Amino acid sequence: MTLLSVQNLRVTFDTEAGKVEAVRGVSFSLGRERLGIVGESGSGKTMTGRSVLRLIRPPGRIEADAMVFDGQDLMKLSERQMRALRGPRIAMVMQDPKYSLNPVMKVGAQLMEGLRQRDRLGAVAARAKAIAALEAVQIRDPERVMEAYPHELSGGMGQRVMIAMMLIPEPDLLIADEPTSALDVTVQAEVLSILDGLVRERGMGLIFISHDLRLVARFCDRVLVMYKGRVVEELAAGDLLHAKHPYTQGLLNCLPRIGGVRQPLPGLDRNAEWAR
Amino acid sequence: MQNGRADMALIEIENLSVVFNAQGRQVRAVEGVSLSVGARESYGLVGESGSGKSTILRAICGLAPVSAGTIRIGGEVLRRDRAFAARVQMVFQDPYASLHPRHTLDRTLSEPLAIHGLGDADRRVVQALEQVGLPSSFRFRYPHQLSGGQRQRVAIARALMLEPEILLLDEPTSALDASVQAEVLNLLSRLRAERGLTFLMVSHDLAVVDHMCDRVLVMQHGRAVEELPRAALAAAQMQTAYARSLFEASADRML
Repeated sequence: MTLLSVQNLRVTFDTEAGKVEAVRGVSFSLGRERLGIVGESGSGKTMTGRSVLRLIRPPGRIEADAMVFDGQDLMKLSERQMRALRGPRIAMVMQDPKYSLNPVMKVGAQLMEGLRQRDRLGAVAARAKAIAALEAVQIRDPERVMEAYPHELSGGMGQRVMIAMMLIPEPDLLIADEPTSALDVTVQAEVLSILDGLVRERGMGLIFISHDLRLVARFCDRVLVMYKGRVVEELAAGDLLHAKHPYTQGLLNCLPRIGGVRQPLPGLDRNAEWAR
Repeated sequence: MQNGRADMALIEIENLSVVFNAQGRQVRAVEGVSLSVGARESYGLVGESGSGKSTILRAICGLAPVSAGTIRIGGEVLRRDRAFAARVQMVFQDPYASLHPRHTLDRTLSEPLAIHGLGDADRRVVQALEQVGLPSSFRFRYPHQLSGGQRQRVAIARALMLEPEILLLDEPTSALDASVQAEVLNLLSRLRAERGLTFLMVSHDLAVVDHMCDRVLVMQHGRAVEELPRAALAAAQMQTAYARSLFEASADRML
């Protein structure tokens, strides 16, 4: 069953220096599965994720032949209708908890804000639900975290708070933009297993954006590899080692490996032809 | 220990403890950690956040209070004066935060020269940029005009301005893309070989540490858990459960 289908998505920024095309004709479809989008910075992966929520500010503009989520064409919805989708139906976990949480608001207040405003819950019920959400992302001391300000949390805790916040309304689709790049391997594994559980138990769809190809391969079902705004290769995660595109192979090979040989890591040679 | 006698070591840390006072509460960031790093060796510290690995580097630089224990560089108890800065330099994790946003690269790179009264700043700055693979046309740019990888190259160039023997590297590539990480790691390896540098490197990525370091100290909750030579890491010959769990969490790095 298709949850989201995107056809020929383009994101263009009209700048003084001319048009900058961040995403150039990306098409994909997503069921209730884990789709990875991989690429270097500037490849357009984050812009693709944000486009689905229509969260691109002018001078950027989004064009697509169709962007259908659960039967509705997102391109045709009004801003008001989009607002009703953002959060309860489609949620996004941003990359950096330092910049995405409100620095002058306690974590608990931020978690409860949506519950109180949107779901019209009372203070006690909202608090209970917020604490349950923190527990669901394996925060051991939720009472303390509720009373903390974002700067009092470590990166891993902040990231989990954001995931908890996005999961409270139980969205059908979660877009996670580098949700684990700031985290240690052990915490990374925990966060991934939380996301994994949600996909399995709730049947949520997940778009997982990352620059770490091997992580994506281990975690996702399918992978899109992006280069300069285009998808250069789409493959099943298990077939990653048989990737055909030289760019995908380059992304794989440039990572050091445990027990690997001590020679310079192969650089990524970027071919202008691939961007066509 | 494979590096033989302690008096051979360039960096010797004995029973180091770092205690912070946070609102009347004592936080023991590092507790009784000892290690020694030989000249021209590359030594890694791994562990999760809060394990105290960065605090050790910061304690060496005087950015964290040493509560107990001693740190010796080249056999001498540490004094943080100008001579220290000329021997030991640090590269920080986040190249977006570690460069002054309103200083041009030229100013950033020539500042250490001015402080230490070294002349010939012009030539040295151009040479430093070239050493880290940046075009000399970047000299009068500001940090915001550079990408993350380019900024980290500037931070490395700045650390090398005084021609130190020791580089303290605090997660030098964890803020970078995989492909840019490869370039920066290659740069660091090349500079180490060319200049005979000694590295003390912190990372949470076992594969990076394995690629760069000869020995690795695994840390948890401020304590040293296990020291592993590189061969033992690759062969998964760790003795402690924690080191093993760290290794297993990095399983996708074995592909």
